[in-house]
Amino acid sequence: MDMISLLGAVATLVFCAPGYPGAAGDAQPFVDQFAKTTVANAGWSPGSLAAIYDPTESGGIAKLKNPDAVLTFVPYAFYVQYSAALHLTVLAQADVANVGTEERWTLVGKQGASAQSLSGYTLISTAGYAPDFIKHAALAALSLPGDLKIESTGQILSALRRVSTGENVVVLLDQTQSAALASLPFAAQLKTLAQSPPLPVALIAVVDNRVPQARAKSLQGALYKLSGTSGGPDSLSALHLKGFVPPKLPAQP
Amino acid sequence: MSRTWGLGLLAVLLTACQGTAVKSPPPATAQSPGELARLIAEDAKKSDQESDAKVREALAADALSKAQACIGLAPVDAGCLYYDGVALGLDARAHPSRALETLKAMLVALQGAEAKDPAYDQAGPSRVRALVLIRAPGWPVGPGDAESGLAAAKRAVMLKPDYPPNVLALAEALAKNGDAHGAQENYQRARDMATQSSSADRDDWIKQAEQGLKRP
Repeated sequence: MDMISLLGAVATLVFCAPGYPGAAGDAQPFVDQFAKTTVANAGWSPGSLAAIYDPTESGGIAKLKNPDAVLTFVPYAFYVQYSAALHLTVLAQADVANVGTEERWTLVGKQGASAQSLSGYTLISTAGYAPDFIKHAALAALSLPGDLKIESTGQILSALRRVSTGENVVVLLDQTQSAALASLPFAAQLKTLAQSPPLPVALIAVVDNRVPQARAKSLQGALYKLSGTSGGPDSLSALHLKGFVPPKLPAQP
Repeated sequence: MSRTWGLGLLAVLLTACQGTAVKSPPPATAQSPGELARLIAEDAKKSDQESDAKVREALAADALSKAQACIGLAPVDAGCLYYDGVALGLDARAHPSRALETLKAMLVALQGAEAKDPAYDQAGPSRVRALVLIRAPGWPVGPGDAESGLAAAKRAVMLKPDYPPNVLALAEALAKNGDAHGAQENYQRARDMATQSSSADRDDWIKQAEQGLKRP
């Protein structure tokens, strides 16, 4: 029996997606359903896994530091930034609806800008909270200048407007955002400066070895099969997921 | 990841839209545009206080049908356009799976109302438009646009500066655009104005302002 069970506390799966839309309360029914279905398929006892969503970086980290936080669902950017500090061990890679299991990030700047001369620029991104991800994963092929400022935003449209008006700003877009660029009335003022290699979109990981290996294994198997089980597709689609696959992580920087 | 929790947000978004949209449409005879607008406002108020999803769905359907009747009678009447927007808001809340498309139609209706009579319902078209723009998921997922929301909130305050919900909307828009100081100033101002108001909504306005003042 693991420590969480001995203490009678409910193990928790923490969903954290900084920069993405949604409030904690609104997402709760969806994450509850996901936890319930996954646990049933893993052979864990009903009610043994709670789920909670926090859309903020600080709130998510605080929740993950609680001893009852045994699992987490996070974007790959969050994983790169915090996997060492939070001792995250990946169980499965998410297959996200309309995106897939991997995505490329795109750096966009004004016409005339160059990825090789970004000194004095500000880089804005929904992943701006994860500078390690930006420097060592998404844009690892570039030598970014030391004075490049990195900012996080949930207002990506405002950032793109700043680019279009000629400010020294570049924006790092995820795949969904870059696919929609052409729909902007000022798209002609924007230029693609660089693109990342394919990177995982989101992951489920064990936090700080808080799930015993056998239970982690049964949960991992359940995640891989979830899309083919009764109730699985509904639980997944409510979170805009198609399923989970074995993790295929790029070499850690 | 972008769409993951976007739809859930809309349920919250539209609650507040109704709260500020439901004022007093002009009195009129039965089935006139004014009367239909009043009935939609009643649906919105009931929906705001209703926790049963099925009842909210029925209220949204009723409001939408009345909005269509109103538009049929007076296609360019500011009240019909405005309450068409309100009815679409109810529909978006009742049917989250199609909410993003409905919200886009809601913004179009409100824009039409604003073009016809920007002062309608204490600058309601720009106020409600501001709330939708600042609370809806942003590009590319949804129609949310914090900068445009701030511009709409400023227009509402410029038109009707003494109406507390307009100042509350401005405060929220400033907060969303990163101006914490401006947001606090306007929440304070809205609370002061609401305290001196004799409106039946006074307590709700004070509560909203105080909640805003507590936010970091």
